[in-house]
Amino acid sequence: MSADDLVPPSSVVLVSGGSRGLGLEIVGDLLGRGVAVAAFARTVTPELDALARKHTGRALVGPVDVTDREAVASFVRTVERELGVVDGLVNNAAVGQDSLHVHTSPDRVASIVTTNLTAPLLLTRLVVRRLLAAGRRGRIVNVTSICAQRGFPGLVTYAATKGAMEAATRALARELRDRVLVNCVAPGFFASEMSAVLGSTQLDQIVRRTPTGHLTEPDEVAPLVRMLLLEHTNVQGQVLTTDGGASI
Amino acid sequence: MATLDRSRIRDLMGEVLAARGGTLPADESTELRSLGFRSLDFSELALRVEDETGTELNFDAPGLRRIATVGDVLDFLQDLQAA
Ligand SMILES: NC(=O)c1ccc[n+]([C@@H]2O[C@H](COP(=O)([O-])OP(=O)(O)OC[C@H]3O[C@@H](n4cnc5c(N)ncnc54)[C@H](OP(=O)(O)O)[C@@H]3O)[C@@H](O)[C@H]2O)c1
Repeated sequence: MSADDLVPPSSVVLVSGGSRGLGLEIVGDLLGRGVAVAAFARTVTPELDALARKHTGRALVGPVDVTDREAVASFVRTVERELGVVDGLVNNAAVGQDSLHVHTSPDRVASIVTTNLTAPLLLTRLVVRRLLAAGRRGRIVNVTSICAQRGFPGLVTYAATKGAMEAATRALARELRDRVLVNCVAPGFFASEMSAVLGSTQLDQIVRRTPTGHLTEPDEVAPLVRMLLLEHTNVQGQVLTTDGGASI
Repeated sequence: MATLDRSRIRDLMGEVLAARGGTLPADESTELRSLGFRSLDFSELALRVEDETGTELNFDAPGLRRIATVGDVLDFLQDLQAA
């Protein structure tokens, strides 16, 4: 098989939810490898802004709500103009949940589904349409969660969205075949604004059940995302779990 | 919006406990653990309050984790109705 037959490493990567937590880590990691990176979140944090300034010409950041279709489409057009066609997408933006299903309002259920499932499906559709129209190949990494595979109380709708993204990943991989590699990275719980709602007793419990004895850190997840975006591995339609073995 | 007062919530809590073969002690500092009052019992109580007031009471789990005594349950449900 010649290199021309393989999906090339991504050269322009779009990261949703790149302002903090895992998204920020992924943006920093990819910029550090010489990749051009565009990132958005509803609010651009000073940390993300600083990264963009450090890598002027190769980084583009902006305040965009992933559920706002117009704003997302306009940002993608700007990225194309300034950095080139997006050939790598990391669907990372998501909102968490910590409420029993019976006590979660219908509006909250709908809004979690909109942000964590509808929005990444539409962003993926947009990016793949641009890629195919340009006759290019690309790679997509969906950040899901261990919650897609294992049951945790208080996370019913969140888990449903992450499980749906894993299912969509497999279907997309079949559709897009050798043109776009589509995979998931499923982290276990890690410390971030999203998991701050977990009580210390719950976190201790998770650590006790984790063979490696520690919660996954964002800088342990970023290398997996990078590998799926930049290396030749022939991995397609898969979920890579990084949870210290807690789920085995 | 209709709200239930503390004594009515207390009655309902007593009914939830009675259905499990328990009784609600007068002392509000009694630990829920000693009564076998678990998180789904709390859900049942909250839903009974909803039924009587006709208003949904939705809430996140972190608040629930701070509830340890009978008095905490009554405070939580009163505060929730006032919110
Ligand atoms: N933390 C964990 O334990 C854990 C475990 C497994 C998987 N994950 C997954 O890892 C990913 C990152 O999570 P994290 O823990 O780093 O979360 P986080 O710290 O809360 O960061 C979430 C990011 O998404 C952005 N975002 C949220 N809603 C958005 C919207 N409507 N439009 C645009 N951006 C939005 C946030 O920025 P704004 O709020 O400014 O928009 C932020 O940049 C998520 O997909 C999450 O489900 C997390």
